[in-house]
Amino acid sequence: MSRLFSFILLLCFLIVSLYPFAWMFFSSFKTNKEIYQPAQLFPEKFDGQAYGMLLDGKFVDFGEGLWQSFFIAGSQSLLATFVSALVGFVLAKYSFRGKTFLIGAALIIILIPRQALVVPIFEWFNFLGWTGNSWSLILCGIASGLGVIFFTQSFRHLPDELIESSKLEGFSPWRVFRLILPLFAPGFMTYFLLHFALCWQEHLLALLLLDDNALTLPLTLAKLSDSSHRAPEAIGMAAATLSFIPILVLFGLFFGKMRTALSQLSLS
Amino acid sequence: MTGLPKKSFRQLLPLLLPFMLLWVLFWVVPLVMGIDLSLQSPNSGFLDPQLETVEYVGTENYKRTLNDPKFYKALSNTFVYVVGSVLCILPLAFLLAVSLFECQRILRGILAFCLLIPGLALPGAMSKLFYLFFHGREGVLNQYLVIPLGFDPINWMMDPDFIMPSLIMQSIWRWTGVVTLFFLCALEGIPKWHFEVAKLEGLSPLSKIRQILIPGVRKLALFVAVFLTVDGVASFSGAYSLLGGSGGMMDSGLLLVTYVYQVAFPGGSGRFDLPGAAAMSLMVAPMVAAFLYLVLKIRVLLIKG
Repeated sequence: MSRLFSFILLLCFLIVSLYPFAWMFFSSFKTNKEIYQPAQLFPEKFDGQAYGMLLDGKFVDFGEGLWQSFFIAGSQSLLATFVSALVGFVLAKYSFRGKTFLIGAALIIILIPRQALVVPIFEWFNFLGWTGNSWSLILCGIASGLGVIFFTQSFRHLPDELIESSKLEGFSPWRVFRLILPLFAPGFMTYFLLHFALCWQEHLLALLLLDDNALTLPLTLAKLSDSSHRAPEAIGMAAATLSFIPILVLFGLFFGKMRTALSQLSLS
Repeated sequence: MTGLPKKSFRQLLPLLLPFMLLWVLFWVVPLVMGIDLSLQSPNSGFLDPQLETVEYVGTENYKRTLNDPKFYKALSNTFVYVVGSVLCILPLAFLLAVSLFECQRILRGILAFCLLIPGLALPGAMSKLFYLFFHGREGVLNQYLVIPLGFDPINWMMDPDFIMPSLIMQSIWRWTGVVTLFFLCALEGIPKWHFEVAKLEGLSPLSKIRQILIPGVRKLALFVAVFLTVDGVASFSGAYSLLGGSGGMMDSGLLLVTYVYQVAFPGGSGRFDLPGAAAMSLMVAPMVAAFLYLVLKIRVLLIKG
């Protein structure tokens, strides 16, 4: 491919990707009138009024939403990483009866996602009396088909000799798993991040399962843009900017590790 | 897996138990309940079991769904949305990944991260932004693209012909960077000697792409396509926030999950049609499975042929 062509392509896409974020950031300082003129990038004067009003909690409890989202996405991803890694390890390195069944179970979660089962999930949690509890949202996302497949692929690179010698030593599979854990830190980190990003965005299940007094960020933002609040647009933009920072920092910190793990993964 | 010690299932059970338990509790049970629910009459008191007895009506709800023109509308919309996004994202992401692959290493990382950013933002937050930024009469798409090219400004969110393209554009904007990162990592995973051989044999850039780069990402492309398909079918947040929970003008932006939600929890009327919604969502799953199966079959045929 010619240098020039790829340069232009990258540049165009970079602008398309990043410009809306710049606009979002600057819009959090604008007045409504300025926001309705999207061709204008910079506000006339910078004042952090919108941020103050947002954090005051006059319209929505933004701090609570941030904490809820962080807590739910963090604990669900942590548990999902661990649970999927166990299954992936077993599927990659041991053969046993019922293996095909287990792979089928993982695949079918991908095919019939939770979003297609929201109504019965809602009814089931109603029956259990768990609706409104953030743990209901955490628990129902842990068993992840994507995670099982991710870890089955990444544990394939583990040398078979390691398993064989551990068998000679009389180690249990659980002990072997604990021994190899540090080796796969990049893989763990990567899946944690991917799951976190997906869980951070969960809207429909959160809408159904959570109480009004403990909303996650997507719900808080939706509530804010609801016209009945008459919140100035700048506050919505401020909320969008703030909600974006935590996940950006998280990915920024571990981006290098993630790339290593992904390029190892795609070898097989 | 030859030569590995054969373990009895009992020894492995502690490792598998958490997953299987959660799978049964939060996937199998809801599925069974969904099937049960879809066979009940929408008038029975399933929300309050003490009040009314459950009345089973057989396949009534499924028939009702099949006769619902709005269901077909939602189905075809979702199909267009998914196929449109996948067909645009995969080639674009591949081109971007190849372009990045030719950059220097440090620049490559920074650029890949910048491209990833749209995938991290909350779709709900973005919809508001999109609404103002792109779609209004004063929006950037109209100001910078449509009017300079000599067309009339398009009312992206109100014109039934343009709601779907704008939803697809949103999906492209969102996922292309993520897919690019995946492809880039796959390209970096290709062994170095492949490129040395290519240099020795004097392969043209085009055949280098065909013979080394495309096979390098092929497996991942399939994985990405499946992921995007499932995500597209399940997508809710973007369209929901962009269109305020409705299907948009003449339902031309009505996606399946939004419609299921509309049927289950109609705003205001307070008459929940949970059985109808359950029947609908249960009918979607086999369709997605069949669609994916078909795609895989075609791919196998193409490779053989």
